[in-house]
Order: sequence, then structure tokens, then C-alpha cells
Amino acid sequence: MTNYSIIQKRSIWLGASLALFVMAVAAIILWQFKLGIDFTGGSLLEVNFKGPRPTVTEVQAKFTANNIGDLGSLVIQPIGEQGIALRFQDSTELKHRAVLKALNDLALAKSTDKKVTDLIEEVRFDSVGPSIGQELKSKAMSAVFWVFIGILFYITYSFRKVSKPVASWKYGLAALVALGHDAIITLGVFAYLGHFKGMEINTPFVAAILTVIGYSVHDTIVVFDRVRENLPKSHDDFEGTVNLSLNQTLGRSLSTSFTVLLTLLAILFWGGDSIKPFALALTIGIAIGTYSSIFVASPLLVVWEKWGKK
Amino acid sequence: MKNVAQKMFTSGGRAKVWRTFVVLLVITLAATVINLGAEFNKGADWVKTRTGIPVPHVIVIPFHLGLDLLGGTQLTYQADVSAIPVADRTSAVEGVRDVIERRVNAFGVAEPNIQTNYSGGKPFVLVELAGVKDAEKAIKMIGETPLLEFKEKSPDARKLTKEEEAQIKKYNTEAEKKVKVVMEKIKKGENIANLTATYSDDADSKAKGGDIGWVTSDNNPTVAGIAAKLAVGKTSDAVKFTKGYEIVKLDEKKAKTDPFNNQPEREVKASHLLICFKDVEGCDSGLTKDEARSKIEKIKKEATIKNFSELVKKNSTEPGARNSGGSLGWFSAGKMVAEFEKAVFAGKKGEIIGPIETQFGYHLIYKEDERQISEFKVRHLFIKTMSATDIVGEQTDWKNTELTGKNLKSAVVTTNQVDMTPQVSLEFDEQGAKLFADVTGRNINKQVAIFLDGYSISSPTVNEKIPNGKAVINGRFSAQEAKVLAQRLNAGALPVPINLVNQQLVGATLGAKSVQDSVKAGLIGFVLVAVFMLLFYRLPGLLAVIALMIYVSFSLAIFKLGWISLITLFMINAGQVTITLAGMAGFIMSIGVAVDANILIFARMREEMANGRPFSLAIEEGFRRAWPSIRDSNSMTLLTCIILMMTTAGVVKGFAVTLFIGVVVSMFTAIFVTRTLLKLIPENILSKWSFLISSSKK
Repeated sequence: MTNYSIIQKRSIWLGASLALFVMAVAAIILWQFKLGIDFTGGSLLEVNFKGPRPTVTEVQAKFTANNIGDLGSLVIQPIGEQGIALRFQDSTELKHRAVLKALNDLALAKSTDKKVTDLIEEVRFDSVGPSIGQELKSKAMSAVFWVFIGILFYITYSFRKVSKPVASWKYGLAALVALGHDAIITLGVFAYLGHFKGMEINTPFVAAILTVIGYSVHDTIVVFDRVRENLPKSHDDFEGTVNLSLNQTLGRSLSTSFTVLLTLLAILFWGGDSIKPFALALTIGIAIGTYSSIFVASPLLVVWEKWGKK
Repeated sequence: MKNVAQKMFTSGGRAKVWRTFVVLLVITLAATVINLGAEFNKGADWVKTRTGIPVPHVIVIPFHLGLDLLGGTQLTYQADVSAIPVADRTSAVEGVRDVIERRVNAFGVAEPNIQTNYSGGKPFVLVELAGVKDAEKAIKMIGETPLLEFKEKSPDARKLTKEEEAQIKKYNTEAEKKVKVVMEKIKKGENIANLTATYSDDADSKAKGGDIGWVTSDNNPTVAGIAAKLAVGKTSDAVKFTKGYEIVKLDEKKAKTDPFNNQPEREVKASHLLICFKDVEGCDSGLTKDEARSKIEKIKKEATIKNFSELVKKNSTEPGARNSGGSLGWFSAGKMVAEFEKAVFAGKKGEIIGPIETQFGYHLIYKEDERQISEFKVRHLFIKTMSATDIVGEQTDWKNTELTGKNLKSAVVTTNQVDMTPQVSLEFDEQGAKLFADVTGRNINKQVAIFLDGYSISSPTVNEKIPNGKAVINGRFSAQEAKVLAQRLNAGALPVPINLVNQQLVGATLGAKSVQDSVKAGLIGFVLVAVFMLLFYRLPGLLAVIALMIYVSFSLAIFKLGWISLITLFMINAGQVTITLAGMAGFIMSIGVAVDANILIFARMREEMANGRPFSLAIEEGFRRAWPSIRDSNSMTLLTCIILMMTTAGVVKGFAVTLFIGVVVSMFTAIFVTRTLLKLIPENILSKWSFLISSSKK
């Protein structure tokens, strides 16, 4: 079995990760997130036109001219061939009906066959009251908090018997740092996507991040597990033992993540538009998680051990 | 077969493996039959026609699909229980649920699913409706549900001071003067639009020349009632209402049309005769269904337009029919039970229709008149008058009693015998009658108040304890107001205010497409993973793929049967798993996660073989040593799922549930199933063709 010198080149990996991390933090601070309506409150309406679709400017003009009243930060976006998506701040049913009627009137004006009067199909409508948005935010926060606490405790408990030369809680902390790294970089990517592609962050996104965290810790644990097994019988130093463990588990770490990525890619490409952002968050997160469990968590452990010796 | 049986019943290690194998086979078959129930039944029919052997059918269990896959709407209402005592809150929320359910059911919405849900200590009512058009109707219906509260004076309530009473009197005299001034100006030909800025007390419309757009008798009965009597371009006299004076100018008038089909909307005037029967709640006619039917058919034979009202007074079992003669007045679509509405709208003017069966019993309907619903474009000038509530406020003065709108049984329009004004008579259910007796009993010579939609509409002083469960609301109504109120109350009244906070609608085509896409993605994902496992891990890879198929079969069966079957091995059908779009994603992802355990085991096996261990030992070691990693890593995913299930709802919860079930089942199939299969292959074959497992270059 070939023994790649991974740990020995740790400064490269940790440097690259640090650079990515800093970029992600910068992206988050600079662009922030584009929050979906389940956090901000508001409405999202998607309709398909059965006949010719009016242009975005026509729709825009209709809503400014019409006496529907203020919809609040209206965003209009064409979807596919026949569809159009509207996002606005008002979340009342009255406005919902008024907007639908206005769109149908637009379609009627364009239609040649005056007998057909129902020219739009409502594909979806989500509306969230402002108080609910606030509540979801705090719930998502508490979920993140408890997942981190749970993982920290589990790892510390799991590694309680290996305390030399590195204390078991340090395994836990190294794993957590790697997880934080995964989460922040994924968030950074979405800050970028939000700013340039208009991709929104919603509750399923939070679930995706948490799942990434829960799953990525898999690979890290597999490596640490092997370190735990190798340590008593190893004649090498800590650095060498960790590197050996890493090489022994490299194949399976890559394989396990690869199979999950295969299924996620299947969802991303064939699973339909609605689920795409969710699948994308999972895919990016798990790809980065695989990298970090090999190139971040274990090198960190060694760095820590070296510091302890000084 | 004989061979297998022999192997099963001989003692020793391999016999045990064979027995396990057969048990696994049986469970897998059972799961497959559960998953493919409809196909199994078709096969059974086919066998029967071909061979004559009767194969019994199985019960077909469907998946519980979420609304995002089925197409439909979910409405979330928040119930505001802040005004009522803590002990009564749970029952009030249940009351809201029941009223909404009754209301949605009565208007013929298909299969509503209505639940209460507490989140962050706040009560919510979720209304799930399959279908989109229904949702629009349902929101309207629920929105019109009246909020009916019964309040008594709270001990710290204060009375109006002399000065305040004088203030009210002064204010109202001023208001009357103002009305006179305005009316004089109008009579001189001044346009109302020029007067509102100075005189109107309606803050929303005064700057716009009193323009309030289009109104109907539904959304603004007061103004529409005045407008209906006006010719276009004319201005009305000042009409006094509870809250003040209204002066209305009619600008335009048109027939109301449905925004979706552009058909004119109609309304109908009718009266009806009801014969209820034993199964109907609250019916005391004592008739069986058949007897009720023959009775109403007999009445129909003698019924004419002239004697209809008399027949109603004599025969109708509807409470209050003796006074009302069964008259329902004018009503539009969506106000009556679906069967009733269908019949009366289809019938001809002057016809006696029926008998029609509804949830209330059998009806004979006399369709008196029909007309298009008019919409009025109006300007109005409102001059406010003052009452005690304007000074003291509602909240501090009155406190809620245990009696609420959920205890209401029926409401009818009656006439006050003293001053001949219209009023609404209420009848409570059994529990409500008891509560009302308590409330009146402890408030003798004190006031109690009936609040409608947050406003006090009637606050009589109690003379004596009222034990019969009947009350009257006399709020100086117009006949039109009283009629609309009775109609609204009859469809159920809310015990506490509700608020629509969240609405999710998914069109049926989008839902169907989501299912299609997810199934496609799932199949592709499965094939990709299977190909990878075969190429990379060969024979064990094949076994892992078989285990994966068993995994899929088990998981799907558990989704159908509910999660409790996870613990009881398909025995109990409980703990419903609702499959949502995110849930399907979770399941597809779990296919990728499910082989993780196998990968860990096989990698370890190869390693042990590379270290020179014999096959059987390498297999054992592979399983044994990979276990701690499998346990630790899966625990993490399970932990995440549990936290998500506890802290979230809806979409995210669906994802967490399927992923959780997936991980638990995959631990079983990946370890137990693969191991059993691997052990079934005789060791000498594995030794001979070691390339089946590993390409180890020793």
C-alpha cells in the first residue's frame, strides 16, 4: 500500500483551507445572504401562462399602473418557457387574488381566442407572515446549536479512552473545527450565489447544512477511529501514526463520500427545479466535508500535538 | 428446495446461516408484497384465470404523500389565546379546530386534514386541502368565520364618569349638527367628493373623495345596502348605524363576475323546509331516515308556492322556523352546504325543489327569486358617533367567560317583540347551556356582553339565571345585517381570534412532476451506486447491491406502514410517515449513505486479507473491526435527524424522518444481510476465485 505523505505537507492543506475560509467569511460579510420568504415573511407566486407569456416589463408596468396597491419590493423573474415567478412582501390573501387576476387580465389582453378566459395556471404560492419568519430563524439557530453540542459530546465520549498523547476532547474540537470550516465555506458559496445568481437561503437550506455537518463528521470519525486503534501498537511517532491511519482509511473515505455524492448529483441533475438548491447545498457541503476530514481535521490534530510539546 | 431444507435443519454454524437466510427471504417477500400490492393482486388474478388456483388478494396500502407532491394547499392559522384563562386554552384551540373543520366540510371542500400544532408555546391550526381552487374558497370561508365571545364585567372595570357621559353626549350632538350641515350642502347640489376631506371620519377614504372602490353586500353590507336603493349618480340621505352615520353616493353599478371564468355571479332568494332524522346531531324529530324521507315526500305533494310558508311553520324541524317561515333571504354561492347550493342554483324561479339530502336532513326548497349580484362603486361620507367603549376600551372592561363561540348550536333572525327590530336568537349546545346558566347565574343584576369579531354588539343586564341555553343578540341591526350575521353564525363561530400566518400552495402539475423527477433521480442514483459497488468491490459489491435492494424494499414498506413498524417488524400500522419532496431527497441520499457501512466493512476485509488472514477470518474481522466506525458515524447522522425532527416542522421534518428511517434500516441491511449472504457462499469457492473479492497483490 502506498503511503502518501499527507500530514507532512499539512501547511499546504491548512493554508489552502485557511484561504478558502477567509474568502468565505469575506463573501458572507460583503454580500450577506439572500434570505428566502420563510425568514423575511412575504409571498412567492409562480404561474404558467397557457398562451403567450407577457414580458417582465409588461408585468412590471401592469403592477405599477394597476390599483392593486403597494406589494412591497416586487421582484419578477421568468421561469422556463411559460412560467413567471413573482416575489413580494405583502402576504395577504386579498393581494394574492388581486395579483392573480391582474396576471390573467394581462394574458387575456394578449390572447386571440376570447372564449377561453382562464389563461394562467397557479404552479405554486407560498406566503409567510412576518412573525413566523422570525420564529423560524430562532428555531434554525437552536437546531444548529444543539447539533454542535451533540457532536462535541459524542466525540468526546467516543474518544474518552484515547487520552495520550492528545486528550480526547481535542479530537472532538479538531472535528468541530473541520465541521465549522465545512459549514462556513458552504455558506460562503451561497453568499456568492445569492449575490450573483439570486439563490435564496431558506429553512431546507439550514437542514442541508446540518445534514452536511452530521454526515461529514462520519469521515473524520473513521480516521480518528483508526488512529485510536493504531496508537497502542504503533512504533512511529504521533505524526507518522496519524499519517498511516489516514492512508489506511483514504480509500474508504473517498468511496463513502463518492456514493453519497452520486445520489446527490442524481437529485441535482434529474430531481427537478424545486429541490435543486437543497441538493446543491448538500453536494457542496459533503464535497468540502470529505476534503476537510482528510486535509483539515487530522493535520490539526498533529499541529496541536506539536504545540503541546513545545 | 429439498437441499435448502436439509441445510436448514442440520445443526451447526451453516445451518444457522441458512435459517437466517430463509427468515430474511420471507421478510423481504412480505415487504415486496406491501410495496407492490396492486401489482400482486393483478398477478393473483392472472394466475386464477390461467390455472384456477385461487390466490388471495392483499390489502393495497398507499404512500402518504405530502401536499407538495399531491398538489394542494396548506394554511397555517395562529390562534390568539392571550385573552382567555390558561386552563381553557387547549380546549379553545380544539374549538377553533372543530369550527374550521365544520366550516370547511360544510362547503364541500375535498378531504380536508385539519390539525392543531404547538410551536414555541404558540397554538397553530394547520388546514391541509388537496386541490387549489378549493383553497381559495376555503380561505374565504374561514376568513368569514365569526368570532363570538361572551364576556362579563371584570371586577376592576370602571363605569363612565359624569364628565365622560357628558363628553359622549356633546360629541354626538356635534356629530348630528355635522350631519345636518353636510346634508344641506348636498341638497344644494354640492358633490360628496368635495365634502369628505372636511367632514368624513373614515380616515382611509376621506382624502380620496370618499372613494372606497367596489363593494358588495358581502364585504360591506351597510354601504351596499344603502347603495342598492340608489340610482347611479345619486346621493343617499344620512342613515344611522351602530357606529355612526353613513352618506353614500353611487358612482357605478355592475354585475359581479367570477374572476376565473368571467361568469356573472348570482344570488338566490329562497326558503326551505327541513325534516331532520335521528342520525343528525341535535335532531329531536324522532324519525328514522326512511320515515323522514316519506314524510317530506308527502309534504312535497301538497306544497304550493302559496302554502309553503305555512307548511314550514307546521312541519319544519329547523329551530326558529316557526318565526322565520324557513326564509333564508338572499344568499350567494358558497354560503350554504354544497348539495343544497347545487340544487337551489340549478332550480327555476318559483319552483319547489327537493327533497334534497344534506348533513342536516331532508330539505324542500322554494326558490323565490334569483338575481345577479351587484357590485357598487361608491363614495361615502362617514360621521362617527361615540359610545362608552370609545372611552373605556374593550380590554380592561370585560373579561372572557368559559362560554365561547364553539358552544353555539344555531342562530336565527327573529323580531324583537317590544320594538319590532330585527335581532338574532342564539341556541347553545348542551355544554354551552350549562355554561350560560353559570355565567348568567353569577351576574344577576350585572351586565354580560356578547362580542362579535372583537366588538361588543350587545351588553344586556341579566335579570335572572337563564337555564334553557338561549340568548338574543339585539344590536340595533338592520334586517340585512341581522340576516348576514345569522348565516355566518350558523356555519360555526370561533372561540378566539385567528390569523392566517402561512399559506403554501402547490399546483397539481408541479406536484406530479416532482414525484416523477424524484423517482427518476432515485433510479439513476441507485444505478450509479450499484455500478460503482460492482466495479469496485466485485462479489461483495454484488451482495451489497442485493442488500441495497432489500434496503429500498424495507424502507418503502416502512414508509407505507408508518415508522412504528420499524420497531415491531411490520406488525403495527402506525406512526404515519408523510412523504414530501425533501423527504424523497432524504431517501435518495440515504441510498448513498446505506452502502457506507458496506464500504467500511469490505475495505477492512481486503486489508485483513492483505495481511494474510484466511477468508473466513478476514470476513469476520472485517465486520467486527468496522463496527465501531459504523456505529459512531451513523449515530451522528441519527443525532442530527433527531434534532431536526424536534426543532422543525413541515418540509425539513419530512427530510429528517426519511433520512432517519433510512439510516436505521441501512445499518441492519448493510451489516446483517450482507454478512448472511457472504457466509452462504462456500469458503472453498472464495479461496479458489479470490479475485472475486480483492485484487490484492500479495
